[in-house]
Amino acid sequence: MIATTIEQGLIYAIMALGVYITYKILDVPDLSVDGTFPLGAALTALYISKGVNPYIVLVLTFLVGAIAGVITGIIHVKLKVRDLLAGIIVMTGLYSINLRIAGRANVAFYNQDTIFTLFPLNKILPEQLVEYERVILLAIIVIILKLLLDLYLKTKSGYLLRATGSNKTLITSLGKDSGLVKIVGLGLANGFASLAGGICAQQQKFFDISMGTGTVVIGLASVIIGISVFKYITFMKHTTSVVIGSILYKACISLAIAKITIKASASDLNLITAILFLIILVITKDKKRRVRQNG
Amino acid sequence: MKRKQFVKSMMAVGVAVTLFGTMLGCSKNSENPLQSVESGGSNETNNSVDTNKTYKIGIGQFAQHSSLDNCKEGFLQGLASAGIKEGENLIIYYDNANSDTGLTAPIIEKYIAEEVDLICAIATPMAQTAYGSTMDKDIPVIYTAITDPVEAELAKEDGGSVGNITGTSDKLPVEEQLKMIRQVLPEAKTVGILYTTSEVNSISAIEEYKEKASKYGLEIVESAINTSADVAMAAKDLAGKVDCITNLTDNTVVSALPVVLEAAKKENIPVFGSEIEQVKKGCLASVGIDYVELGKKTGEMAAKILTGETVASQLNFEIIADGEFYGNTAVAEQLGIELPKDLLDNAAEVFQTIEK
Repeated sequence: MIATTIEQGLIYAIMALGVYITYKILDVPDLSVDGTFPLGAALTALYISKGVNPYIVLVLTFLVGAIAGVITGIIHVKLKVRDLLAGIIVMTGLYSINLRIAGRANVAFYNQDTIFTLFPLNKILPEQLVEYERVILLAIIVIILKLLLDLYLKTKSGYLLRATGSNKTLITSLGKDSGLVKIVGLGLANGFASLAGGICAQQQKFFDISMGTGTVVIGLASVIIGISVFKYITFMKHTTSVVIGSILYKACISLAIAKITIKASASDLNLITAILFLIILVITKDKKRRVRQNG
Repeated sequence: MKRKQFVKSMMAVGVAVTLFGTMLGCSKNSENPLQSVESGGSNETNNSVDTNKTYKIGIGQFAQHSSLDNCKEGFLQGLASAGIKEGENLIIYYDNANSDTGLTAPIIEKYIAEEVDLICAIATPMAQTAYGSTMDKDIPVIYTAITDPVEAELAKEDGGSVGNITGTSDKLPVEEQLKMIRQVLPEAKTVGILYTTSEVNSISAIEEYKEKASKYGLEIVESAINTSADVAMAAKDLAGKVDCITNLTDNTVVSALPVVLEAAKKENIPVFGSEIEQVKKGCLASVGIDYVELGKKTGEMAAKILTGETVASQLNFEIIADGEFYGNTAVAEQLGIELPKDLLDNAAEVFQTIEK
């Protein structure tokens, strides 16, 4: 149960890192992730059924997702459509495209190789760690992605990305185009979301058109929970907080499910989850107020 | 100051860790008493219910609506008829994913962690997750309310199992429904069907309807929707174009049935249901399957697997072959239609009122 929680948390953490780029760095609310997450899953269903190497599929899902994000960016920046609406347009359009890609609303591929079945560590791992084999693989992927993102944010392009969100005038005074930076950021973010959707499909071994619904909510919750909980641990990078935030989010849901045993009604699941979130956020809120009083 | 803040942050982390701890703890707590019960029933005999053994079953239901709820009820009845009763020798874990595909995995993982003897998955995404997650474990999965298990990759073309999984299908008696529509509305030319693009079940049913409609001199007019919010517009549009509407087992459309009925009422055309609950609520008639019966059949299959009489991989999936006729005379009166006498005489149930 704990292994699965961490697994799920790590998969959604990749998407949450994308949401972190748009929501926290660029200050753009991007709803297209609700479409790019299942886009990655649909592509995965298509390519895996055709026998393409699952690791290559990962790269493909990232690239195609990034293209979708760039389209959101172009609609927003070049066609001057409001950011929220640009996301809604792309998300809505992707629904049909996803159906086209996968061929139908639900595609299963139980007996195909995935990144998990091909994981070379399978044979090396001691027996007691076999249960955590998927967690280990996912952790490796997430750490690599996180480090790459950290590195990117330190490059010139990364600095521009951060400046676009916090100080637009600076970008203009540097003679740079903040629109282009936004397009790059949205592309990157949706590449992450699509990659997460692809990995999610590889893990559950099927694609379902409805799996994107609510993705952006999970992403936002993970970012906010992660960053508020670890706000005062200064040596901890935001990207790390977001990853842990995502695992915490999934832990809340798992805990709610675990609590519903024989007596409690299944209808209470979401309420229990909501209360758990509230508890986490209230603890951090309390801190903030006291700090203000001290100041 | 800084140290204080750090301490507070650590408190927050502490809460997080406690969350995990509780998770681990509560799954362990609930396991312990069960284990002691189980160890009492070590002498298992084949083909009969071992009265000393307590069975643990996880029932994962994908969405909440009356057909699927009936499936679950029937499933418990089916088990009970084989001597496996809740409160006596059966412990049920029941969860509902509320149509959220992201919730199916943690629900199934809970059952695996609780070491259940069998998982009952209601509706397609739940069954797919259950099968995917238990492939390398020794937990049989039994599914119900799946229109096309072959399409969902849960069964082979010949009906055989693909693994440690079997169950029942709620495939619609399409041909009988068309025949009934012809009988009730001899003048009708077009039949409208609303369906959701995200539901595989509906898409395979639409194909079958289109294929067979011409045999009865009917033409199918389909209208696709994406979300529950689209139902009102699509139903209004469709109702203006057709002589009657017939429902599939489409979860989104069935959940929004009142909206469909309202649109049809304005055009004074009847809506045919796909099962009993819809007829109760205002559909004119239906040749449908009884989901309680379907659940019962599933429960009986589950009992055979639990008692060791057979294994899931050896059982073909089953369907309920004959649809039953359900009619609603109150609706017929409203529309000024008379339901044919021979249908009423052979009906499984006829309702005289419309359930509010």
